[in-house]
Amino acid sequence: MLTRARGCLLGLAAGDALGRPAENLAPEEIARRWGRLTEIEPGKGGTDDTEYTLFAASLLCRYGAAMTPADVAREYREQIIPGIDGPMRGAGFSELGAIQALRRGLTPPLSGLWHPHGWSDGLAMRAAPYGIFAAGRPAEAARLVAVDGVVSNSGEGVYGGQAVAAAVAVAMTGAAPGEVVQAGIAAVPEDSWTSRNLRAAVEAVATGSVEELYAAVVVRHYPWTDLAPEAVALAFAGYLMGAGEVEGSVVSAANLGRDADTTAAIAGALAGAGRGEAAVPERWAAEIGPATGRCLPVVAGRHVLDAATDLVAATGRVA
Amino acid sequence: MSSGDRIRGAFVGLAIGDAAGWPSARHRSTLLAPWSRRLERELDAFAEEHRVTTLPVPFSLNQPVEPLAIGPSDDAEWLAWTALTIHEDRAEAFGRLAERSDLRVRISVRSALDNLAAGKRPPASGHDNPHFFDDAAAIRAVAFGAASADPRADASVTNAGDGVHAAAAMAAAIAELVAGGPMPSAVEAALAELPEDTAIGHMTRTALAVAREAGDPFAAVPALDAALLDHVYSYGVAAAQTVAAALALAEVSAGALSAAVPAAACLSSLADSAPALAGALTGAHTGYQALPEGWCATARTLVGCGIPDLAGTDLIDIAGGLA
Repeated sequence: MLTRARGCLLGLAAGDALGRPAENLAPEEIARRWGRLTEIEPGKGGTDDTEYTLFAASLLCRYGAAMTPADVAREYREQIIPGIDGPMRGAGFSELGAIQALRRGLTPPLSGLWHPHGWSDGLAMRAAPYGIFAAGRPAEAARLVAVDGVVSNSGEGVYGGQAVAAAVAVAMTGAAPGEVVQAGIAAVPEDSWTSRNLRAAVEAVATGSVEELYAAVVVRHYPWTDLAPEAVALAFAGYLMGAGEVEGSVVSAANLGRDADTTAAIAGALAGAGRGEAAVPERWAAEIGPATGRCLPVVAGRHVLDAATDLVAATGRVA
Repeated sequence: MSSGDRIRGAFVGLAIGDAAGWPSARHRSTLLAPWSRRLERELDAFAEEHRVTTLPVPFSLNQPVEPLAIGPSDDAEWLAWTALTIHEDRAEAFGRLAERSDLRVRISVRSALDNLAAGKRPPASGHDNPHFFDDAAAIRAVAFGAASADPRADASVTNAGDGVHAAAAMAAAIAELVAGGPMPSAVEAALAELPEDTAIGHMTRTALAVAREAGDPFAAVPALDAALLDHVYSYGVAAAQTVAAALALAEVSAGALSAAVPAAACLSSLADSAPALAGALTGAHTGYQALPEGWCATARTLVGCGIPDLAGTDLIDIAGGLA
């Protein structure tokens, strides 16, 4: 349990850091710049994916399974909003939209509904701790992540978080990648964009063609890449292409481009949960230090490995 | 006044509003050669680089200047296309568009056409769509309201959620006005289609409250900007914002186009479609005969900047087909 939890968040942080320079690039451009992107840029670290994950983990340690959307909204007001000195850095549309909504006094679920970015992958990127907390219980992971999710997201953005949390919960049992992905699909309504995209991604990966994967899940005529149905589908595809191995999954996801830091982070969380801390390449682990707080000052100094250890301890308290 | 005059008022009112917003000139400039617009983008970069506040406007160098005269653009063309195809199955009508490469369309419509081409049927074509919430269907719903027809099957091809609610609300308001109802009843009919627990339901009620408090359309502009916009996202076509602003301005203008449309055009983030929606509502209220003559003359003829085969089409003829 502990090694899987630490592998999950270390894999997430490594994926975030590896994918960061490839964000918003097409696979052809990534190939042109790096051949194949396999190394973390030294000293650069991760982004909002890691920092918001640390924040979600702290919420779970504090509130556990009894957490409510009102608790999460209060934490945003007390922990995040006062720390914003001038413009926010490195956050996604859904977090910025939610913070603007909370600042004007709106409460969940309106805070996640009021802005038009409900489908953003901002919840999916921080969903892994819910899967650790509810290891082996995908339905509970999906329920809990939505408690956090409705503060900032709505609709497909919540489903994306639920798919990731449920899949991590099953990966934490050591299940095979195919079973992990199916658990993610089972956690969301069948008649949803997320479900349709995840099923299409599984089929496209079986063909081995990146072109088919793109045709199946990437919105071609939209400039932003943080659509949860697309990003979660690319992340799961990377995880399947890497056969659940940490390095293969993270590298596959990052080299698919689009929201590459988030997709590689999710793939890394799934693979790290399945294979454990020791399966994360040492050269990557060496690049993961305490969070800088660049995106979220409240988590500055926190390390993903400590957050994972605390999460496991919190799980024990509940059980 | 006849219902036919009110239908003509809705159509030409929408075109006047479409023409009044600043994005109209940019849409119409797509009739010029691409290099002409590339120069404009370079001048924009020049202003940034040289720190000058003299910003470029659409201009014509060795190109025809007529497209840059004030006039209607994409919204009026989509209204005309909808009226012309209103008796057809909506997926089939859009399916024909999906085969074309000469259209310029909103992100919701582009994504829906891609979905249709890939074999995805409505409502998934409108649902699996990054801009499911935009007002493309609300614009088209003016035709359905004029014909007293349900806009939902049409709206679901390109939109979902708030985008479909918005279409139902616009059609209900236009139908009420075309039948001779007063503006407050039209706003009530729209509100009945907007559940309170949706973004569009919440925003429309908020917009009405702040606009009523401000007292008149122009006075309401800063309050609407503050109440509806968070200025976080890169596009201003969310139906929750544009339909809310249009309904609020139509009501506090007491149905007067010359008060509602200029105020909507001042909401610069929403100026692509809020003026058009406000124009449709107020035009349907007063009827075509009451609209300002100079605006009618310039707004009734389409140029084909979104749907090329509609170039030269007279909206009055199109509206006559529904009257």
